[in-house]
Amino acid sequence: MRPFEYIRATDPALAVATVAGDPDADYLAGGTTQVDLMLKDGILSPGRLVDITRLPLQWIIADAAAIRVGATTTMEELAADPTVSGRVPFVRDALLRSASVQLRNMATIGGNLLQRTRCRYFRDPTVDACNKRRPGTGCAAVTGPARMHAILGASENCIALNASDLAVPLVALDAIVHILGPGGARSVPLTEFYLEPGDTPDVENVLVHGELITEIEIPLLPEGARSAYLKVRDRTSYEFALTSAGVAVVLEDKVIRDARIGLGGVGTVPWRAWDAERVLRNAPASDETFRAAAEAAVRDPFTVSGTAFKVELAKRTLVRALQTVTGATP
Amino acid sequence: MTIEAARLIGPGVDRVDGPLKVTGSAPYSSDFGYPHMAHAVLVRATVAAGRIRGIEATAAEAAPGVLAVITHRNAPQLGRGPDTPYWRQPPPPLQDDRIVHYGQYVGVVVAETAQQANAAARLIEVDYESAEPLLDLNDPRAELLTNPWGMDAHRGDVAAGLASAAATVDATYTTPDETNNPMGLFATVASWDGDSLTVHDSTQWPYSVRATLAATFGVPESRVRVLAPFVGGGFGAGLRVWPHVVLTVLAARTTGRPVKLVLTRPEMFTGIGHRTRTVQHIRLGADRSGQLTALEHEAKSSIAVEDDNYEPVAADSATAYACPNVDTRDLQARLNIPPPTSMRAPGEAQGNFALESALDELAYAVGVDPLELRLRNYAEDQQQLGLPWSSKALRACFEQGAERFGWSARNPRPGAMRDGNWLVGYGMAGVSFFWFQPPCQARASVRRDGTAFVRSAATDIGTGTYTVMTQLSAELLGLRLDQVEFRLGDTDLPMSPMAGGSGLTAALGSAIQAACRGVIQAFLDTADDPGSSLRGCRLDDVTVADGRIHRINEPARGEAYSEILARHGLDELTADGDSAPPKPEDVGMAPAGAFAARFVEVRVDPDLGLVRVARMVSAIDGGRILNEKTANSQIIGGTVGGIGMALLEETVTDPTGRIANANLGDYLVPVNADVPELEVLFVGEPDRFNPIGVKGVGEIGLVGIAAAIANAVFHATGRRIRSLPITVDQLL
Repeated sequence: MRPFEYIRATDPALAVATVAGDPDADYLAGGTTQVDLMLKDGILSPGRLVDITRLPLQWIIADAAAIRVGATTTMEELAADPTVSGRVPFVRDALLRSASVQLRNMATIGGNLLQRTRCRYFRDPTVDACNKRRPGTGCAAVTGPARMHAILGASENCIALNASDLAVPLVALDAIVHILGPGGARSVPLTEFYLEPGDTPDVENVLVHGELITEIEIPLLPEGARSAYLKVRDRTSYEFALTSAGVAVVLEDKVIRDARIGLGGVGTVPWRAWDAERVLRNAPASDETFRAAAEAAVRDPFTVSGTAFKVELAKRTLVRALQTVTGATP
Repeated sequence: MTIEAARLIGPGVDRVDGPLKVTGSAPYSSDFGYPHMAHAVLVRATVAAGRIRGIEATAAEAAPGVLAVITHRNAPQLGRGPDTPYWRQPPPPLQDDRIVHYGQYVGVVVAETAQQANAAARLIEVDYESAEPLLDLNDPRAELLTNPWGMDAHRGDVAAGLASAAATVDATYTTPDETNNPMGLFATVASWDGDSLTVHDSTQWPYSVRATLAATFGVPESRVRVLAPFVGGGFGAGLRVWPHVVLTVLAARTTGRPVKLVLTRPEMFTGIGHRTRTVQHIRLGADRSGQLTALEHEAKSSIAVEDDNYEPVAADSATAYACPNVDTRDLQARLNIPPPTSMRAPGEAQGNFALESALDELAYAVGVDPLELRLRNYAEDQQQLGLPWSSKALRACFEQGAERFGWSARNPRPGAMRDGNWLVGYGMAGVSFFWFQPPCQARASVRRDGTAFVRSAATDIGTGTYTVMTQLSAELLGLRLDQVEFRLGDTDLPMSPMAGGSGLTAALGSAIQAACRGVIQAFLDTADDPGSSLRGCRLDDVTVADGRIHRINEPARGEAYSEILARHGLDELTADGDSAPPKPEDVGMAPAGAFAARFVEVRVDPDLGLVRVARMVSAIDGGRILNEKTANSQIIGGTVGGIGMALLEETVTDPTGRIANANLGDYLVPVNADVPELEVLFVGEPDRFNPIGVKGVGEIGLVGIAAAIANAVFHATGRRIRSLPITVDQLL
């Protein structure tokens, strides 16, 4: 571990100025991923860490249209919020199926959205080929045993998975990320926040160095909407998803009037299944509809031998989530 | 002397070391420190085969706090530890430039702090000339060892037995590499004082560590003391003397400072052994009633370069069931893998999965209930030796376990039982665990204040040895638990074998029994004076209770230990005891390990490929159970390991030989949510092969679970999974 300077920030603008002005500086929030990457894996070695957990960024404010969540609100705090339970319950489901309660008490919402991939090749500095860590070196995961990897938005350049559960319902809800940077504040829809790896797997999102997430705005579902988050994993608890689906529907007389779908465990970014939503809209809530939506959701996957099973599993996961949420469970 | 007839199940008293553990004051090896202690961090090979072309260590040597950087270029020549009766010790590290496995140590950095050593270790650049590693069990270039332990069994004529069979099974089963993963990170603290060495180590066998370090560093064993009063789990990983232990001692010798080294979790995947993968081929034949006519079991497992490992996978199939025609063969393929070692139920865990899965297949082929099939092939005698077992209550395990589980409610047709989205499956397996009992010594003293001090150099790796040996000593000496001090984990104490092979309780318990009898004899010898009501008594004439020795059936005619010692002006009396098992032919019986029957209900979601264990009943014949609570914990803990083996655990090696999931986030072990209510029944009677009647229960809890779960998955779905772990992708 390289020695680093630790700064406890008290003012957001000052924190931004400090990090923006030092290419070797980084933010530290809950640290549940970052400390692993620094101390255990040796992947990150910032010269300066700016701790933002004392910044006044810890709030949950609900109005008629949305919940606004300060970036350093913890996962457990958000999960316990009554508006979340009442109006976007699949956000709560996704949070409570994430990590462990110990980690959720430390991890922040902003940090969750910025969590790094669990790819075993990215996290081991002795592996040479990793385009995300060392651009241009290739991807060892494509030829190595890979299971917890992406099949959508992936290519031979990178199959690293975005493993966030929370981001799955949030992309489905069109959440908005509020950002403070050296040039001022801006907002980005979460669906446009993440960048598929393409030719630059090292660039994971739209943030430029020094920009700080300050708030996540979560639009509420309409009254009467139903939602569910289904997570499929080998271990019953405390594991990342093999596949997951966050679905919300508005149902009228067994016809789906509106649908929002996010998929987890499959994408290099949290995956919004736009095409599946189009299949569902104004279609009868039936197994045929659900299967058609699932086929539309998982189109043109990029698989390796260890991830091929996810194509079918992701479809079945979505079908099951839709069956559950529409009450059509067999 | 007589003791009260041993009850089968001893009282479940709380662990005597429980308060120390829950208050965090039990001293594990990493808790020890010395003034001016330095810290060591390892550098590991990142290729699996080849040689080191060069090492650039200048930056590391110049880094803050660094005291030494030791590599093969400056390491002294080191001896190899003496062979044990079971395996050779791993070769000493840093002796040349060759790399034979990923994770092999290529250097050790010693610095003032662990952080400085870690930072410096990352500055070391090793240039490898890498070669193509041998990693596949079936690679034709790999050296193949046949009958490595001389345990291959042959009786009758398997070909004829198969030819005459009404039904046959011919199937191949595979199990993956698994990693022991004790929770406690292995740590070694070494301190030299001249030519005397003190080592605190995470080991299951302090005497073996002492012998190895003495040989490696060329000092007499009498100058080496190894301490391991508490070990944070082992599951076999602490049985061998690993290179990091040698390197810690070398670092201390090189720097002239006490040195501490704590392995990281990734290092725990390459440096302290693992369960080997297997490929197993089984052929069974049976007549129309399900009676076995042939049983053939061939197993291939892996072994590291220049190493060996005790892992008989097929051998136990020769004695598990009655069958006239049997062949078992074990093979080992030498690969560029980190050295394997025993992991809880070595060999038997994998072999039982294949055999008990094949028997389930045979049950369906013949059309006989799987439980009934096993009862029809019950082995009344040990067929290889042709002797009766020293005890065997496997039939009671089957019958009582089935009764408690409700096996008779099972609809035999696969897929016939359902609960909503979930398919329900019942599966079972039998277990005949191997017997093992190495020689052991113990010493017992009774002191003037009426308390006893009993000791041996054994270890308690979480199994309950402290507790059960305290109980046993108290019973044998007629004292309360709080009057007995039991000490272990120190090579200054009498010789003890490893805590392994489920053999320590019989070995150490028998030695303690001998020592306690010896000390009572010493009291009788001392009390042979006119003032004593015990004068003239022999051991068989007396019994002990409440801190006194008295004549049998005459409680009034006796004396307290403290009275005898006071009258003779003695502080204490001490006796040594040792134990060694008899030869089976001398006593006319075959020593029996534990037996078990496992019954499991699984739920399978066929659309999503999910398997969840719903409930489980384990009926165990462990001979006499010294402590119901700690024995129950052993079975439950083993069962959780068995669930991991069945559904989750797999050490993944990538094509370069690198372990690709060397952390507890990627290597999955069960969490509470994966473990249902586990019911344990102890059945049987005290075993006849050792004087205290026990059969170890440290490992059997794990065995049979994988097969029972796989068989239950078949019952639920009609899908026969012959490859562990049983994961979602196999069931889609």
